[in-house]
Amino acid sequence: MLSNPGHYDHMPYRRRPKIAWPNGARIAVWLAPNIEHYELNPPPNARRNPWPRPLPDVAGYSWRDHGNRAGFWRMADTMAKYGVRGSVSLNVAVCDHFPEIIERCCELDWELFSHGTYNTRYFYGMSEDMQRELIRDSRETILRASGQRLDGWLTPALSNDETTQHVLAEEGILYTLDMTHDDQPTPLNTRAGRLVSIPYSLEVNDVPLFVSRNTSADRYVAICNAQFDQLYEEGAESGTVLCLPLHPYLIGQPHRIAALDAVLAHITSHDKVWLATGREIAQHYIDHHLADHQSWIAEGTP
Amino acid sequence: MTLPPDYVEYPHRKRGMDHDRYPYRILPRAAPVAWPGGARVALWVAVHAGHFPMDMPLKPFIAPGGMERPYPSYWDFTQRDYGNRIGIYRLMKAMQARGVKGTALLSGAAAREYPVMMDDIAAAGWEPACAGLDMGHLHHGGVAEADERAWIAEAAHLLRGRFGDAVTGWHSPAHSESAHTPDLVAGAGFTWTSGWGNDDMPYAFATSAGTLTAMPLSQDLADQRMLFQQNMATEEFTTAILAAHATLDAEAQATGSGRILTVPVTPWVMGQPHRIRAFGAMLDGILARGGVWSATGAEIAATWRAQQP
Repeated sequence: MLSNPGHYDHMPYRRRPKIAWPNGARIAVWLAPNIEHYELNPPPNARRNPWPRPLPDVAGYSWRDHGNRAGFWRMADTMAKYGVRGSVSLNVAVCDHFPEIIERCCELDWELFSHGTYNTRYFYGMSEDMQRELIRDSRETILRASGQRLDGWLTPALSNDETTQHVLAEEGILYTLDMTHDDQPTPLNTRAGRLVSIPYSLEVNDVPLFVSRNTSADRYVAICNAQFDQLYEEGAESGTVLCLPLHPYLIGQPHRIAALDAVLAHITSHDKVWLATGREIAQHYIDHHLADHQSWIAEGTP
Repeated sequence: MTLPPDYVEYPHRKRGMDHDRYPYRILPRAAPVAWPGGARVALWVAVHAGHFPMDMPLKPFIAPGGMERPYPSYWDFTQRDYGNRIGIYRLMKAMQARGVKGTALLSGAAAREYPVMMDDIAAAGWEPACAGLDMGHLHHGGVAEADERAWIAEAAHLLRGRFGDAVTGWHSPAHSESAHTPDLVAGAGFTWTSGWGNDDMPYAFATSAGTLTAMPLSQDLADQRMLFQQNMATEEFTTAILAAHATLDAEAQATGSGRILTVPVTPWVMGQPHRIRAFGAMLDGILARGGVWSATGAEIAATWRAQQP
């Protein structure tokens, strides 16, 4: 067992080489809607039971299914209202099940990246060959459904195993979201290839907040806005990243959608904001700042 | 099956405590203490900077903040690790801007894992204290005494290798101890301890290797408990701290004896972007009331000890 993922070096949050976002922006804001399908009858996994109740877990399944029938459409309209694109953390089987959703994403010029095949197929215990095969399936499915290249990755249900990041790098993935150690992009160490981490979030993620942490819609707005305000301020010194992970079955509910509207209104009322996609953030970081960060680490983070 | 007759025998049923670590003391009757400059309240910001190994044992219990999801939980690990690369720097900045000192309750392993952070803690003028080896090495009744002694020695060695004699305080990770822990801690040369959150003022804690100064450090009024375990809003914690300060300040005025406001904060909790402004506002609120002495745990312990008969 590993005591540490071992993929990144300690980078104290002071005197880091400056990150400059396009057009003098202080902060890169990106929205990551998780468009998922949870199977009614998934196979078991030794490390995690997909559903807490005996199959079929109608309560769990139907709650999430609401997201694809109702929540997604409402969420997409709210984002379009503010001209904010999404970078979809996509269970790629959604391309087969609900192609209308993918068409809408493409119409809105959203990025699609992979969140595995289904949210009920965990990477716990997968051989490297099986992981590789699944990543390739994701690449082919996203290309077929949207014409896009697969550049980003979030392991379904954050179930990555010890080798996952290595396989991602070898498969040419540009960025991973499996680690939430930072508010800026960071270099990663993998046995081959080049993979970077860009900030995802568990702090302003609607699942922990609404499902686990007893957060009302009003408090969600206050937390997201406070997160933005602080990172916007710090971005004057060096560019920061705010990711808003979304789940249509939560944020797209009638009683919560106004909260997303309020957060997007707050964010878009600021001028030094880069409304980006995951791919754009990763590529900009790789092109302009990755080498500086690597040198600073090599110098001992003076 | 019925209980044996000795189930209702009470060998320790007598006046005072059911152990001999310390005598019962009534807080309002404790000898008065004067803080430097005539301050009423000593402000002690105690920063829980623990290191959580991803393969930490989950038995006999998971330390608060421990790995709760299936191995390998990058989720839990990286969320904690965030504190030691980002969150603690936000706390330092907010505290330095207000001239507030801190005590870092450090896993010994932090000296190995984050050597640069040790330099920054020293540069900030914070006190380095030892909070065990790491959050995967909890002290409890099921640990062999020899193992516990070795863990304490290793943790002390790691931190003293960087900070030398400045490491005088011990905090038992997760407020968990075996019956031997205080003896072993005192034997390793520590002079103050904060594992027992049972008073608002220091008291003398007896061990087989000398007397420790027990410092007040609450597990009840703590950001990790209120914001992470109990899911309260950030302002519920900061409001509670200000309420505690108001009470302690009033008691200091009424009795003429100094009081201590301990503020336990955790970099991966309070150092998040959406919380750090509330932390700064809370410090402003405390300082604005005046009569505050910002001090480290060692300074408070030494000042208290010097006034004991």
